[in-house]
Amino acid sequence: MAVIYRVNMTDLSVRSEAPGPGYLETGGRGLTSALIAAEVRPTCHPLSPENKLVIAPGVLTGTGAPCSGRLSVGAKSPLTGTIKESNSGGMGAIAMATLGIRAIILEGKPADRGLYRLIVNTEGIQIEPADELAGLGNYETVGRQYEEFGDKVSCLSIGQAGEMGAAAASIAVTDVEGRPTRHCGRGGLGAVMGSKGVKVIVIDPRGGHRPKPADVEAFKRGAQKFQEILKGHPLTGEGLPTYGTNALANVINQAGAYPTRNFSQGQFEGTEAISGEHQHDVILERGGEIAHACHRGCTIKCSRIYVDENGQYVTKGPEYETIWAHGADCGIDDLDAIARMDRLDDDFGLDTIETGATIGVAMEAGIIPFGDAEGAIGLLEEVGRGTPLGRLVASGAEVLGKAYGVSRIPTVKGQSMPAYDPRAVQGIGVTYATSTMGADHTAGYSIAANVLGVGGTVDPLKPEGQVELSRNLQIATASIDASGLCLFVAFAVLDKPEAMDAICDMFSGLLGREFTADDYLALGKATLAREREFNRAAGFTAADDRLPDFFKTEKLAPHGATFTVSDEELDTVYNFVGE
Amino acid sequence: MPRVQVNLYATLRRYVGGAPSVEVEIDPGRTIEAVLAGLGVPTDQTRILFLNNRAANLSDTLKDGDQLGVFPALGGG
Repeated sequence: MAVIYRVNMTDLSVRSEAPGPGYLETGGRGLTSALIAAEVRPTCHPLSPENKLVIAPGVLTGTGAPCSGRLSVGAKSPLTGTIKESNSGGMGAIAMATLGIRAIILEGKPADRGLYRLIVNTEGIQIEPADELAGLGNYETVGRQYEEFGDKVSCLSIGQAGEMGAAAASIAVTDVEGRPTRHCGRGGLGAVMGSKGVKVIVIDPRGGHRPKPADVEAFKRGAQKFQEILKGHPLTGEGLPTYGTNALANVINQAGAYPTRNFSQGQFEGTEAISGEHQHDVILERGGEIAHACHRGCTIKCSRIYVDENGQYVTKGPEYETIWAHGADCGIDDLDAIARMDRLDDDFGLDTIETGATIGVAMEAGIIPFGDAEGAIGLLEEVGRGTPLGRLVASGAEVLGKAYGVSRIPTVKGQSMPAYDPRAVQGIGVTYATSTMGADHTAGYSIAANVLGVGGTVDPLKPEGQVELSRNLQIATASIDASGLCLFVAFAVLDKPEAMDAICDMFSGLLGREFTADDYLALGKATLAREREFNRAAGFTAADDRLPDFFKTEKLAPHGATFTVSDEELDTVYNFVGE
Repeated sequence: MPRVQVNLYATLRRYVGGAPSVEVEIDPGRTIEAVLAGLGVPTDQTRILFLNNRAANLSDTLKDGDQLGVFPALGGG
């Protein structure tokens, strides 16, 4: 039986309810955004009792559909002030789905400012005091849970950053090995969890059952077809497992779109030393692991295990965005130093993109020089100690930049841009400017057609065609984010039309009715419309759908490019709403 | 004789002994496809091409001092 749990942290009570009819055929971001839009006052303070944190697996999660283990977390964001959904891999979503849980909604705020843990199992949810976990990092926090509950559980947790209410705080999700390496990173949702007084959620799936499709054979046919497509595509079948997400470093650097030294250049001279190819060689030489799955049922396996010179575990990956943020954006070409920073981010519970970009701005401000890896690690350690400077770092690039009088701050709606300069890839600039989430590459990954030759070809340096490209990708992404499928399946879906048929077959088999590509896209459109309306009611206007001015005035080498998509064109991205 | 620099990435490096970059002498007007064939790089495995940091096609011709970036199908993010 599908269930939604409401956990009231004001009176420490738990209520279960059956999902309403509108919520049965959606999940992930579709469900988190529907619940936030329906139940949270858009102008409330994100850290007030009125905000809610919604945690939801996708529609297909737990069914055995390939690559369907994404977990969505939604709330009003303390970083952007918009509605927010941030999703992650790891094992948490599958554990929830195995217990039949469609969503857990954290509400209210404890009057005593105490810390609690939630134990989720076949009995329901128990709330227990957990003040002994105060001030601990994610590794120690989840390590204690595994000692107590064994290795079959999954954990969602916050580190020091979430406890201090920092706007760059993430929510960690444990991986297959029980490490807190996968994160709902963007938008500061760890601070919302911290404001509810919840340090860790332990999910024990033992005794639960995998969701059963209404038509098992139809579902299996779709899942098998989908798996064959993913394994047969050169990107999802070879490129991502072999080189990981950081294979992109050289590609984006060649395109002149690799933001370097706080978005002041488009190419980094140290790229080879932090590239996916070099990372691959280092990992294999030291006895680490490539082609690692972040959750069971993943066939792409883009994750890796990074070890030090003695073969000792340091961290996962690190991923492309993390290596860029702590690397090229800070002028740092030392992969081991970047891996240490990734580990610290995961332990303190910080969004690696926001944190790296913030350190880049701190370098621009002169707090430490560009290229100073040890200085960057020192800044991060300030977060763990909760010093005033550490709190600034954990507050994101916009806050730190303003505090130090920096004029080049690469944010939209308060959220730092990821690893693609919008002057050299104009399509991603449209997504950064107009996404309901603030600057977010995953919301509409225009890099595919602008650079990678996937899903068509649109010249990255010209404004023509970028709005349509971004709009279509934003809709398709919102649909994927509801399904629980990893966004990386999109590379195969954009190339092979039969992949969309396979997804529809899986939905049809699961739901027991015909589910078409139009139904699928309708999920995404409905989600975007709700999110957009929430943001409007929260006070956002067209003036917020803009890139910082320096992208229009400062030319980016090597192309001498500026961002040239007009404001009028940007304002047409959401013209499908209300159709 | 005109020379071009060919930068190969990811799985394509296996065709040039693992080297990230090779310099090639060319006859003027040679195409990218011909240069890659001369190196033994199967063009059916090349998916993303840059000529002097701009997107290129296999049929584009080369001149002295050009820089090529050649990738298989890659993605991430």
